[in-house]
Amino acid sequence: MADITQIIRFDDLASQDSPIHNLEGRIKLISTIFIIVTCVVSNEIFMPIILEVFLLIILKIAKLSYKDSFKRLLMLLPFGGAVIIFQPFIQPGNVIWSYSWLNITDVGLNWAILLLVRLIVTLTAVIIYSSTTPLQEMASSFRKLKMPRDLAMILSIMVRFLFLFVDELAAIRKSQKSRNFNIHSKNVPYKWRVKQVGYTVGMMFLKAYEQGERVHKSMISRGFSDTSEMFNEKKSPEKSDYIFLISIIILVIVLEIILFKFGGQLGYFGQNLSIN
Amino acid sequence: MHIPDGFIPISQCLIYYVILIVALYFSVKWARNNLDEKRIPLLAVLAAGIFAIMSMNMPIPFGTSGHMVGGALVAIVFLAPEAAVLVFTVVLLIQALIFGDGGITALGANVLNMAIIGGSVGLYTFKGLQGMIGKYAAAGIGAWLATVIAALACAIEMGIAGTFPMNIGIPSMVLYHVFIGIIEAVLTVIVLVALDKFRPDLLAWNKEDVNEGDA
Repeated sequence: MADITQIIRFDDLASQDSPIHNLEGRIKLISTIFIIVTCVVSNEIFMPIILEVFLLIILKIAKLSYKDSFKRLLMLLPFGGAVIIFQPFIQPGNVIWSYSWLNITDVGLNWAILLLVRLIVTLTAVIIYSSTTPLQEMASSFRKLKMPRDLAMILSIMVRFLFLFVDELAAIRKSQKSRNFNIHSKNVPYKWRVKQVGYTVGMMFLKAYEQGERVHKSMISRGFSDTSEMFNEKKSPEKSDYIFLISIIILVIVLEIILFKFGGQLGYFGQNLSIN
Repeated sequence: MHIPDGFIPISQCLIYYVILIVALYFSVKWARNNLDEKRIPLLAVLAAGIFAIMSMNMPIPFGTSGHMVGGALVAIVFLAPEAAVLVFTVVLLIQALIFGDGGITALGANVLNMAIIGGSVGLYTFKGLQGMIGKYAAAGIGAWLATVIAALACAIEMGIAGTFPMNIGIPSMVLYHVFIGIIEAVLTVIVLVALDKFRPDLLAWNKEDVNEGDA
């Protein structure tokens, strides 16, 4: 599970200045989702691999560190990776390698490679998006894209309070640590440790609920009512934003044409590796 | 339990998205009718709290670690799975876009497992059993079952997608979550006990009692 405390670092990163950071929020969101969807529908590794190269260039333009982004990618791989690593052994197909009861099939191996490539590209896209877009900008992009009012408001307010809860959690952890509490310690009974975590969760839940009530009161005292709308800063995408989005779309179309016309000559890259 | 992008074909993702949209429609309607204008700050801040709760990892015997999901907890506190749907849609959306935990295309499936299925199983198990074995035991079993059934749903979806055969996926996912579910159950009960002690007015079950008493 993602460590919530990292959110402060992400937001710092996202507040920097670069041509990618300065793109309009909606454009970034749509481009990210477009790239992810393109990857998910690709059955050949040609498209995702070129998109990954493209994303690595974007990473450079966004002045993000390759090393840190790569580290983040590695941290995100485990769950998907666990599913992928079994694929060569469990999918039926021609056996290409076997050792006692262990068989690796060509179909399984190909499928594993495709899934891994898809996973890496989609995660790279998400890493770039979250490293170049502050949370508030993300929430306002959803609002501008006509997300239903209630949901958009919940999202916007939630994003505001995430940072508060990061601090709350850090404070709780610090005070526990100052009392020598260690969740992994074998010196105290397991039951007792579970209980402590339970209290912490209960505390967070209560704090969240009561904070919610306080926020509501302070919103009402500032004139909030059921018909209130959130303020959307009127900032329309500029020419450069459209150029960015359109160039991605053109790139995908060109790649699709290459795949369609010359797929056979691309060898393994143009081969359909999907099993579904 | 967060399914990443690329593991479910887009056609099936769309079906899960349709389910998500229908669930959201009813959830927003429920919130309007039951939580009045307080709903927005309340659910929003609760979602932020759930986010923090989900990032607390707890060591589990057998060497792994797990964290609480809280779908059953939210559903039981409000006595409505709709609350879980609203909270988890925003939580999972942020997890997907900011943390890369769970996919954007798989958002529908993930909300279905953790909030719609998790919340409903947790709540209705709780409702069904509370008369027989008491509130807390019922909530514990509800939360445990919610985790196991959500994991089962996840395994079935991956099976339908062809990504992981069900004959291996179901036993391994279910077995693993049989243990993770214990943590979910214990934590859910502790939180409910704490809430009942410090802020009994927050629990929807107390409100129902009052209403019945009035009538």
